Amino acid sequence: MLSEPEKKLLDAIVSARRERRPLTPLAESLGVDLAGAYRVQAASFAGQELIGYKLGLVSPAKQRQMGLSSPIYGRVTRGMLREGTVSLGEFVQPRIEPELAVVLRDPVAPDASPGAVMLAVGAVFLGIDLLDSVWEGYRFTAPDVVADNASGGAFFLGDRALPWPTEGELTLALDGELVATGPIAALEPIAEHIAWLASAVGGLEPGQVIYLGSPAAAVPAKPGLLELRGPCGAVLLARLEA
Amino acid sequence: MAEQVVTVDVQAVAQQLEAALVNKQTIPPLTETLGPLTPEQAYAIQTRWTELRVAAGERVIGRKIGLTSRAMQEQLGVREPDYGSLWASRYFPAAGGRVEVPRDLLIQPRLEGEIAFLIGRRLQGPGVTLQQVLAATEAVALSVEIVDSRIEAWRIKLADTIADDASFGAFTVGPWSRSLLHEDLRTVGMLIHKNGEVAAEGVGAAALGHPARCVAWLANKLAEFGVALEPGDIVLSGSLARAVPAEQGDIFVVELHGQPPLTVRFV
Repeated sequence: MLSEPEKKLLDAIVSARRERRPLTPLAESLGVDLAGAYRVQAASFAGQELIGYKLGLVSPAKQRQMGLSSPIYGRVTRGMLREGTVSLGEFVQPRIEPELAVVLRDPVAPDASPGAVMLAVGAVFLGIDLLDSVWEGYRFTAPDVVADNASGGAFFLGDRALPWPTEGELTLALDGELVATGPIAALEPIAEHIAWLASAVGGLEPGQVIYLGSPAAAVPAKPGLLELRGPCGAVLLARLEA
Repeated sequence: MAEQVVTVDVQAVAQQLEAALVNKQTIPPLTETLGPLTPEQAYAIQTRWTELRVAAGERVIGRKIGLTSRAMQEQLGVREPDYGSLWASRYFPAAGGRVEVPRDLLIQPRLEGEIAFLIGRRLQGPGVTLQQVLAATEAVALSVEIVDSRIEAWRIKLADTIADDASFGAFTVGPWSRSLLHEDLRTVGMLIHKNGEVAAEGVGAAALGHPARCVAWLANKLAEFGVALEPGDIVLSGSLARAVPAEQGDIFVVELHGQPPLTVRFV
């Protein structure tokens, strides 16, 4: 059950998103903490089929900036996974990030060791996170962003199973212009992050997809052809429309 | 006008197909002798036929997916693939990349090159994605499928081929490969040489855009019958090029990027 302030936060996010207008941060003034924010996030997905999770704030520097000592997570539903084309008009403040995402072949217990996590990964793919924060200018506190599903809007997933574990660089181009680049090493410790997620959500299931976070700052999404390149010559194409 | 509904004696039709297989004598298209069968009726015939074979000692060791190319789908006027069972008695293990197939075992064989998936984790539809297939796959391999039809002159409509075990004839696979699993399976190229000349060329994307998408389709289709893909199942994901007719004495060499070739001789 949500408390009154949590309900208010949820209603504010839901109606702002419906009207596609950004909000100024609310969690602090409403007195909603991180645990409350995760309850708000869970409530906003009630009855929807989850296909996985996204990790956010995976770099220690970003975590410190937000006053955290762990990453955050958001939920990924089947409807959020897109192929080919996406219309930016659906979103409030769309931004894009180059990512990797793993798909599990085995369950991950809440107390799984990092080594067990490595063995549970079935495949790793290129991914694009089309972020969509409802908080104006992406200025928010940790509870704000968590309540808003860790800014998760829509996702693309590559169709080439890269070697796991994998290394190299991710480079994202929009209409042929390089817009973001970063080393996969910046996502580490990946197994530790997934183990943290498993303990936070009470275990992970085979077939679930987990977006591992971005090694580069998010950039505003504009209409055009997105081209993400990664290890082994892998490429993921997606078209953003107005 | 109400759609015409045909009643089918599933057991009798399955026995006809079995007789055609054993005697190597084709039968007229079921869609002509019985009328417009639905895919569901055709799968019921296929399932019964498989049950009859299994009762007589056959083993099912995997599945095949057919009608994965746009060309084949357009030819039959369908929008989705079909599937059949792989029978152990029709698996020809390749020794050193070579295999001999008795021409007499088959009626009107055609040869296809495909990518085979070795399922490592249970895949239960609905909603299975291409990426979930790749995550659950242990390894992939070059496969040669010999398709055959128990229907005269290959005059098949969708229901004919579904009932006829998706025109399965025989198959072989090359060495299972983890490294091929990590290639871009859309861009992997394939050549079929017949008696020393290139007879067909194909690419992974020819099968529904990605071979793993065909396997995802299969997992979701099987879910309609309460069936899952199980660890150890072999799945032939669909032809990457046109099927090449084969006769006694023909030698086929099938190449797939980065894999040892498979040589199939019809003896």
